[in-house]
Amino acid sequence: MIEAFRRPGQRGRTMVAIGLAMLLVLLLVVALGPSIAPYDPTRTSPDSLAGPSAAHLLGTDSIGRDLLSRLIVGGRGTLLITFVAVAMALSAGLVLGLASGYVGGKLDLVVMRVLDVVFAFPVFLLAIAVVAALGPTVRNLVITIAIVYTPTMARVVRGPVLGVKRWDHVEAARSVGVGELSIALRHVLPLVVSPILVQTSLTLANTIFTVTALSFLGLGPPPPDPNWGSMLADARQFMELAPLTVVAPACAIVFASLTFVVLANGLRELLDVGGR
Amino acid sequence: MMRMVALRLLLTLPILLGVSIVAFVLMRALPGDFAQASAGTTTISPEALDQLRRNLGLDRPVWEQYLAWLARALSGDLGTSFATKRPVLGELVPRFMVTAELTLVAGAMALALGGATGLASARLRGRVEWIVRGWNSLLLAVPNFVVATLVVLLFGLYFPTIGIFNYVPFATDPLGNLASMVLPGISLALTVSVTISENTRAAILEVASQDYVMVARAKGLSRGTILRDYLGRNALTPVITVAGLQLAALLGGSILIETIFTIPGMGQYLFDSVTTRDYPAIQGIVLVAATVVLLVNVAVDIAYARVDARVSYD
Repeated sequence: MIEAFRRPGQRGRTMVAIGLAMLLVLLLVVALGPSIAPYDPTRTSPDSLAGPSAAHLLGTDSIGRDLLSRLIVGGRGTLLITFVAVAMALSAGLVLGLASGYVGGKLDLVVMRVLDVVFAFPVFLLAIAVVAALGPTVRNLVITIAIVYTPTMARVVRGPVLGVKRWDHVEAARSVGVGELSIALRHVLPLVVSPILVQTSLTLANTIFTVTALSFLGLGPPPPDPNWGSMLADARQFMELAPLTVVAPACAIVFASLTFVVLANGLRELLDVGGR
Repeated sequence: MMRMVALRLLLTLPILLGVSIVAFVLMRALPGDFAQASAGTTTISPEALDQLRRNLGLDRPVWEQYLAWLARALSGDLGTSFATKRPVLGELVPRFMVTAELTLVAGAMALALGGATGLASARLRGRVEWIVRGWNSLLLAVPNFVVATLVVLLFGLYFPTIGIFNYVPFATDPLGNLASMVLPGISLALTVSVTISENTRAAILEVASQDYVMVARAKGLSRGTILRDYLGRNALTPVITVAGLQLAALLGGSILIETIFTIPGMGQYLFDSVTTRDYPAIQGIVLVAATVVLLVNVAVDIAYARVDARVSYD
């Protein structure tokens, strides 16, 4: 093994660095999107299922659309949905978890029982049912994902808050007359950031899965907007003729989730967050 | 023991009630009208629609509808499928059995793979630990439907003679049935094996640091004996618990895997029901799946307490 990997702190730092570099690639795709795509991702051409060439670096799909362009623009859609949905789940989870853990008592009891109910559903099954009820649009997809991942976030926030709120500095702040809201936000929240960061990263990876899987089943953003999940599903029909049409979106999905898995593992090591 | 089982089930009741409320509300919150969806057409006369609404009890207050629906659900009546006009329960049971089998096969595979990699990384450390870590990270990042699609592609390209979509019912051909479960099982098991691997590793490391293991080593027991009788046995309990809790992930994943490999299970039924907007069927599946997950969690808890005398819920 590489020597640097033997020093514990270094290991986490290396992984976080790799994760951040991969994240940068994803962010560039989101930021630049259509402007770096060589073609219009919805423009068809008679040159269908072509292999890689100078004109089409990754070839074309079954109705002659440029694969690379669809991958870039589709990635932008997938990632935007992911980021917005996780941001919503994170905010809701922060509010619920902090309120539930810090205030405690009846509020905690009610919030936790409600979350228990949501936990009883397999995440993906709940996501399908909610999308089926609301209808498959980008907005509903975001709402669905925010709903299914909020409980996990709330739980991850609540756990450490329960411990930290009993620490001496909290009592000290209270004794000099700091308001409760201010204590919760400025003296408790900063101390529970590490597990939240790790969980956010894991949730981003899970959300990539959920978004692409829903699109794979045809419950994602409606066509003709490209999307990694639907690209993979559509390509299955001709995959023996043009394996790249399947392999390319598969690699894109794996790259995106690997980014967040690596980040999560690195952060866990670096910030010394317990096992799971 | 009986007391504990009763208590645990009692605690699950309110959650089950909550689950039923979610399942009910979800399908009443549809955009448009439940009656219209049930008619399956938008060109229905207002009078006929009113009649249908009365038949379905939609003119009554929501809580009354909920109670009536719950009472029927408890007696096994999950409603009538919009698509086939047959009772949902009758459609659901055979498909549920198929999914249960797939879940068991995948669960066993995940347990074997995760147990092996977890054990290897805990006992051998060093380089092996890193290989297992990288492998687990990769597995975690490759969604099961991507694995399944790539498996289908691989077989299509290199082994086109092997039929991988030949699902046969267990009753007609048990061996053929099991064979048809291998590839879907692997696709489903890979992600789940990561959790089991990480927990096996943690459990083995935890047990290995106990005094009785040191004593066993000091009195000169062989490595094999220590591994089997001391580490294996004690680490097994938490691992089995985690495996039981992975059921939700397996059930969720089966939707995609069954759709890809055309296995007529509950997952494919859900997918079909969503495409045909068969709301009673969706409702029934969601309700059954959540109930099964809850009951298995209870069973795991009880089994855990039964095996580990230190655990008590009183």
